[in-house]
Amino acid sequence: MDRPWDSGYGLVTDLSGSPERHAFRRRQVDRSKQFGALIGAGALAAALAACGGSDSSGASPQSGGGTGDPWILGTTDTVTALDPAGSYDLGSSTLEYNLYQTLVTVPPNSTKIVGDAAKSCTYDNPTTLTCTLNPDEKFSNGDPLTSSDVKYSFERAIKIQDANGAAIYLLGSITDTAKDGTVTLNKGAIETPDDQTVVFHLDHPDTTFQYVLTYPGAAAIVDEDAFPADKKLADDQVIGSGPYKLSQYKAGEQAVLELNSNYTGPDPGKTPQVFVKYYSEPSALKLAAQNGEVDVAWRSLSPTDISALKSDSNVTVATGKGSEIRYWVWKVDGPVGKQLAIRQAAAQLIDREAIAKDAYDGTVDPLYSIVPPGYGGASQAFKTAYGTPDVAKAKQILKDAGISTPVDLTVGWTPTHYGPSTEDEANELQRQLESSGLFKVTLKSTEWEQYQTIYKQGAYDLFILGWFPDYPDGDDYLSPFLVDGGFFQNGYKNPQANKLVAKEQGTDDQAKRQQVFGQLQDIAAKDVPFIPSWVGQNTAVYGKGMSGVESTLDPSFIFRFWLVTKNG
Amino acid sequence: MTRAGSGSLPRYILQRILLVIPMIWVILTLVFFVLRVAPGDPVSAALGGKLNQQALDQRREALGFNRPLLAQYWDYLSSVAHLDFGTTFSDNQPVLHVIRDNGGATLTLTVAAFAIALLVGIPLGLLAGRYRDSASDAGIRLFGILSYAAPVFFVGFLMQYYLAEPLGLPTSGDASPITVFEVPTKTHILLIDAFLSGNGEAIQDVLKHLVLPSVCLGLVICGVFIRLVRVNLLQTMQTDYVEAAEARGLKRGSVTWRHVFRNALVPVVTVIGLQFALLLSGAILTEQTFNWPGIGQKLVQYINNRDYGAVQGIITFFALAVVLISLLVDIVNALIDPRVRY
Repeated sequence: MDRPWDSGYGLVTDLSGSPERHAFRRRQVDRSKQFGALIGAGALAAALAACGGSDSSGASPQSGGGTGDPWILGTTDTVTALDPAGSYDLGSSTLEYNLYQTLVTVPPNSTKIVGDAAKSCTYDNPTTLTCTLNPDEKFSNGDPLTSSDVKYSFERAIKIQDANGAAIYLLGSITDTAKDGTVTLNKGAIETPDDQTVVFHLDHPDTTFQYVLTYPGAAAIVDEDAFPADKKLADDQVIGSGPYKLSQYKAGEQAVLELNSNYTGPDPGKTPQVFVKYYSEPSALKLAAQNGEVDVAWRSLSPTDISALKSDSNVTVATGKGSEIRYWVWKVDGPVGKQLAIRQAAAQLIDREAIAKDAYDGTVDPLYSIVPPGYGGASQAFKTAYGTPDVAKAKQILKDAGISTPVDLTVGWTPTHYGPSTEDEANELQRQLESSGLFKVTLKSTEWEQYQTIYKQGAYDLFILGWFPDYPDGDDYLSPFLVDGGFFQNGYKNPQANKLVAKEQGTDDQAKRQQVFGQLQDIAAKDVPFIPSWVGQNTAVYGKGMSGVESTLDPSFIFRFWLVTKNG
Repeated sequence: MTRAGSGSLPRYILQRILLVIPMIWVILTLVFFVLRVAPGDPVSAALGGKLNQQALDQRREALGFNRPLLAQYWDYLSSVAHLDFGTTFSDNQPVLHVIRDNGGATLTLTVAAFAIALLVGIPLGLLAGRYRDSASDAGIRLFGILSYAAPVFFVGFLMQYYLAEPLGLPTSGDASPITVFEVPTKTHILLIDAFLSGNGEAIQDVLKHLVLPSVCLGLVICGVFIRLVRVNLLQTMQTDYVEAAEARGLKRGSVTWRHVFRNALVPVVTVIGLQFALLLSGAILTEQTFNWPGIGQKLVQYINNRDYGAVQGIITFFALAVVLISLLVDIVNALIDPRVRY
């Protein structure tokens, strides 16, 4: 916003003497040999440049401590803002996880939270959470990180209440929302009795709050001396206390991260520099990966591209468990969806294995409950309730309810939000339902903006949606879906589900919570307000010399730069 | 008889400049209302898959998207009149900074593409006209039609798949990340900044990245020039002065090279202005295909995000660019041919 015209990219570093730079450059030069003969202009330019003297691109030294070569991550994700007060998207949080600390975080392949800037965060009771900071925490600019910074971070995020920020949506336990949409922090919600202690007072029992604290969009800690209280800081000026610091940011083009020498936490980086290059099209990213222009390609390669890359000997396709899901939502208050037997019959027919295999080339896994595997309390409720696809059973369900067949069903999907394979999934679902002879499906599609308006208005009996978690807890797959018709407002209401959600949010006893999660998933399978379809995998493609990529591919979708290295 | 002064160059230029104002106003108004008639808004584009209707409505209210359309329109026109294009909603960038930061890449691409179009299109057009109905004429005409008709993104994909690796050329971006990092930003035009830095590797890297996108975009315009130059050449060769020159014993080749070619190229100046708009629209597709960090790529991103302010600002910039180039061409035409002033 206030980025000066000339200083925006002033943090230019001259690495010309480093071995990492030479290795990095060597690759470029090797490729340029072929090119050298192509255009004389290049050679002429180089000659002119050679006459021009030495590189004048700044002189700040490289951060020490790293041992590997610099590497490039290519991604199709976009960044909304690097100031945590203004972001609620994966593209932003990928950088934020590496630039900032939160009080608590999620280790790879785990949903159990551990301390990050805090030694610990514990519930004194279901409405009071006390966090104790690690001693000697510092920001990358050398400023000490204290409880005052933590309090300030929450206060400013809520005060700024950026519509693109997560704070006003995820911190409901310490905020109040007025009718005009204004969000305010509850009085006395955050206390800082000393420099090392932060106490959160929640306005209702909410043990999911500790999970929200792992998400940088809602809870990253910023330097109160660097970030303004009432507006966002320019992206290229952000300062955090994470393993890396930002050296350059060009919106939509690239970000450059360097090791934070003031970082004292448990996850120091191994690579002196990480480049993040942004792509607008997955096809361009795929070509860049094949051509060696990026070392790691992560998000959102199409199933076709991933299949093609698996047969390319120059790259490795790595997959980990994912958490992104697709599901089909019934308009429960619509003329067709209001009939439980129709919903159950469709659930009895859907063949998730075929959808995963035929529509997505096996790059996704069948999903038998709205909570994906890997989350505490996840079950396979739909598999338990309906078993394998069975036309006879579906026929019986409809017959018992006195419903004549075939049932006319309008199924909605969108081609512009969930990728090109959504059409294949919709077609496969249509084939499965119609081949039973019990349904006559009319597929309808529209652009995402229109889609999300008209599905709420009842344009479809059944429509596809996707979900990506905000925090690593089963609650994030249940409360937004089952309470009062869910965020998608499909008209489903079940007082028992509402009570169970309140119950699991009100206890810190994980065994009890997971038991309630199981009950909620059973209710979903019985009432079928939606039909889970598949859970995505966390897939990355990397080139030769890379290591550690697999270790960060988990359902949290945190790309931990500190785990990845490049040699040779 | 003409009215006094009606043929003066300053008066002509003034008229053209005054015409620009209503033209820009019409474009601004169209863009403003078309964006708002289209379904969706920045809030639903960013958060529609996460929040319920009430929360979305609250955000719209807080951001003023629910205000009367005419009130928003008036505010918008007032801001533009003060050269304030606002801040993008989806990535928090001042719109003028987006234009400044990305305009250089688009300028580099379009200038390079235009140069390629001229360097390839004019000689081929002249050759085709000179050797009319020969095999080379047929081949060049076919090439001209294909290059004009083939979609930019299709040609781009073919180049990426079949040319990039054998030629050792990159498939995406305007430079490698390390070059972008190293070269200090001075003019916001990476190629010029690379020259200013004196970094030979960086210059070579930038030029390498420029080859495929500029050839791809240049081919589209090249087809137009081939056809135009060929037809002009044929028409010029049928004029009386060519016949007279030949009747006086001048050799056909000498007449063609010394007189016909030069005169056949005059109308190209007029067409350059018209082709600029085509070049910009082609640049949007080329930038998408080659991940070129230009203003066209940003425009697509902002349209997808329903980012009103950003789209309005960028389209206004495009419109201004086309209008100014057209104005420049009009002035050059008026200088070359005084008849157009009347």
